[in-house]
Amino acid sequence: MGGFLLNLRDPMGVPFHPVVFQVLMILTFALHIMFVNFVVGGTLIALWGRLRGDKYGIKLSKAFARANTVNTSVAIVLGVAPLLFVQVIYDPLWYNANNISAWWALFFLITIAAAFTCAYLFYLGKSEKGGNPVWSLLSLAALVLSGVIIHAISVQMLHPEKWSQWITASGKVNLFGNRLYGFSLPRFLHFMVPSVALAGVYMMLYSWYFREREDRDPNYVQWVGELGVKIAIFASLIQAAVGVWWLLTIPSDLGFMTNPFFLVGALVALAFIGWLFVARKDPAANGLKTALFAFVAVFAMAASREALRSAYLSRFNYSILTYKINWSIGSTLLFFATFVMGLIVISYPLLLAFHAGRTPDSRAPLKLEGLNKLGRLVVFLPVLWLIVVVALGISISIKNGVLF
Amino acid sequence: MYPAWLVPVLGSGLIIAIIATFHILPSHLATGSFWFNVWLERKAYKENRPELLQFLKKYVLLILIFCFVYGSITGVWIWFSATVSSPRAISSLIHNYVWGWATEWVFFIIEIVAIYVYYYTFGKIDGQHHLRVGWTYAWGAWISMVIITGILAFMLTPGKWLETGKFFDGFFNPTYWPQLFTRTALMFSVAGIYAIIVASRLDNPDLKVEITRKAALWGIGGLIFGAIFAYWYILKLPPEAKNLVFGGELPYLKTLLKVAVIMGAVVGVYYVVFGLIAPHLSNPVVGIIVAIILFLGIGAGEGFREGVRRPYIINYFMYGSSQVIARSIPPKGVEEEVSKLNENGYLSVLYYLPEQLRTITENNKLEVGRILVVHQCAACHTLEPNGLLRPLPKLLSGMEKDDIRDLLDSLGDYAYMPPFIGTDEEKDAAAAYLATLAK
Repeated sequence: MGGFLLNLRDPMGVPFHPVVFQVLMILTFALHIMFVNFVVGGTLIALWGRLRGDKYGIKLSKAFARANTVNTSVAIVLGVAPLLFVQVIYDPLWYNANNISAWWALFFLITIAAAFTCAYLFYLGKSEKGGNPVWSLLSLAALVLSGVIIHAISVQMLHPEKWSQWITASGKVNLFGNRLYGFSLPRFLHFMVPSVALAGVYMMLYSWYFREREDRDPNYVQWVGELGVKIAIFASLIQAAVGVWWLLTIPSDLGFMTNPFFLVGALVALAFIGWLFVARKDPAANGLKTALFAFVAVFAMAASREALRSAYLSRFNYSILTYKINWSIGSTLLFFATFVMGLIVISYPLLLAFHAGRTPDSRAPLKLEGLNKLGRLVVFLPVLWLIVVVALGISISIKNGVLF
Repeated sequence: MYPAWLVPVLGSGLIIAIIATFHILPSHLATGSFWFNVWLERKAYKENRPELLQFLKKYVLLILIFCFVYGSITGVWIWFSATVSSPRAISSLIHNYVWGWATEWVFFIIEIVAIYVYYYTFGKIDGQHHLRVGWTYAWGAWISMVIITGILAFMLTPGKWLETGKFFDGFFNPTYWPQLFTRTALMFSVAGIYAIIVASRLDNPDLKVEITRKAALWGIGGLIFGAIFAYWYILKLPPEAKNLVFGGELPYLKTLLKVAVIMGAVVGVYYVVFGLIAPHLSNPVVGIIVAIILFLGIGAGEGFREGVRRPYIINYFMYGSSQVIARSIPPKGVEEEVSKLNENGYLSVLYYLPEQLRTITENNKLEVGRILVVHQCAACHTLEPNGLLRPLPKLLSGMEKDDIRDLLDSLGDYAYMPPFIGTDEEKDAAAAYLATLAK
């Protein structure tokens, strides 16, 4: 059974050790799914606040309406990286799983575009109470549908033994790619329920950030933080129950319950729930710590799910460790150097935004002279990048005789 | 082989083309528009004109929504469409260029952070800081083009990579520089139209005329240099590609080229008339129409670039449609697959076939033939007579099974067609199925 999977691997091999791609995939996926959760949970809260209709509810709804649009585009851009890396180490699985549900894979992008469009229409709504809640509801529906599709494709990845049966079940070979085949409710919920928890965490972070802004009503800011921690605790407990449910459905031959990644992941998740009870005493003050801890928990969950995937695929002797390597040190360096540069570059606008957001709108533009040095470096870095790459490009082009 | 994806009436190749077209507009606007924004913002600070900033803010929101949502979604969409219709080709590109794409992704992150901060900190931070964020975006966006062009150009001219298999040998390939320069010049032309549309909404008539004139000069410069570099690009096309276009093998490619030139000329006339001669007459509606014309021109150019590497999807390396590796790359340990598949059969790599379709019999011949045709033909030819993409029933109409069988044998002799790959028995089955379409 495993033979055909290994034969489907790209004969080009991978340009660096496959574990590096795996780690990057988990890391970038964790960032991506965290923002996805912010958006899904944020849309729910925006809708709830809007329907509640009181002063605080509307204020919260408007805050989330705005955040949702930004977080959606961040989630999309962050999603590009794991999408890339999964194709490097799991190409036979990814391409098959998408291919047999081709129309759905394409429809996935339409539902995301629809969710975003509706989120913007809700945000731009002019009435005193904010946008028309129907937009928010439609956005939420489109988000859930996107989740269903990508979830089904991910489940399909884990079952190479079924691909052939799925597309030949009707007696004729179905190459239309018009059906979705995989779905597991507990697994799906394990991705969706954290949205509510993370929206709660986001509210704590919001409360932490704005409690220092003097033109904000401190009672409102306090209320957001307290509500946030309550929501986070409630949803995390449900999530724990969903996790147990999912665990019970995983075939015992995979030995997942004793898998070290799972055990660490479960411990981190429980520790996070424990921390929420501590943070409840002063949710605003603990906002940043909670958000960071939440990311660690999301990362640990992502790592456990990856361990689960490895366990499923070991049934077919598929291990990323056996992927052929055609070392490409130069391009690897290009990426990591650019990555470090990118972190420096984004630190500047992020710091500017951090200070600007904490300052009342009525103030004169902030001078922030302490950031000038960083700013000068940051505008220069992309130019430096270009100089290096162009010099490299010209020398290679001349060497290969392809410049003119 | 992965299962093929059969798209009735349209053909899976057309799906990629349609989706890619949606991406042209937001992607070029995303890279081009900010050069105008930073220019205008500098002017606002230098001449102390805060009204310009208000104005800029309004338009950045448009770029933000249009480019950063629909631009990135359509970009990922192209990726998914390639995934489902040409998985082996996209896989091959990714396994060579994963670090290139990952590097481009770093610039996407820079772009998105920069543009949101730029938008939300208008008037809240010092002008110099704000302008720096604008520059960061402009450079970041252009560099994303510097990167993706390497991979796009690779597909047509893999160059030295065919011998060495090395990342940078393929990246800085024979058509890289001309394509990068052409795109960059056209990017300024896109920025010019964008600026004119924006300026036509200004209340201050003097300012409107001033900006429109400057933008028209940018636009004209972009078109002139774009044309020069595009000519350079044509000169650097591989001989087989030139033969397809100018040797009369594929007349539609020449038509696409003509369309691109005519559209460019129309845009040039617009710049001269509404930009230089009568800038006060410019208005958003005409501007948007001309923007669409420019994008149609760029779209025709993209269609040309995609079509000119036939019969390959990665030139000289992998055939389109069947996605069979046509050439060994020894440094990478990659072997050509044609001879092996001709010997063992194309069916031997279709893991998903049920047992009863693995050996050809009189009973299953038509079904096996259909599957082979879907794999090797259907990405570029629709199977229905009313199909949009070079429908096979029309092309084969009136032919008998034996004629079709001969045609399959000689397919590789056409400059733009890949050979039909498989054993004689498989060709028989395919011909038998195709004969049912020809009736």
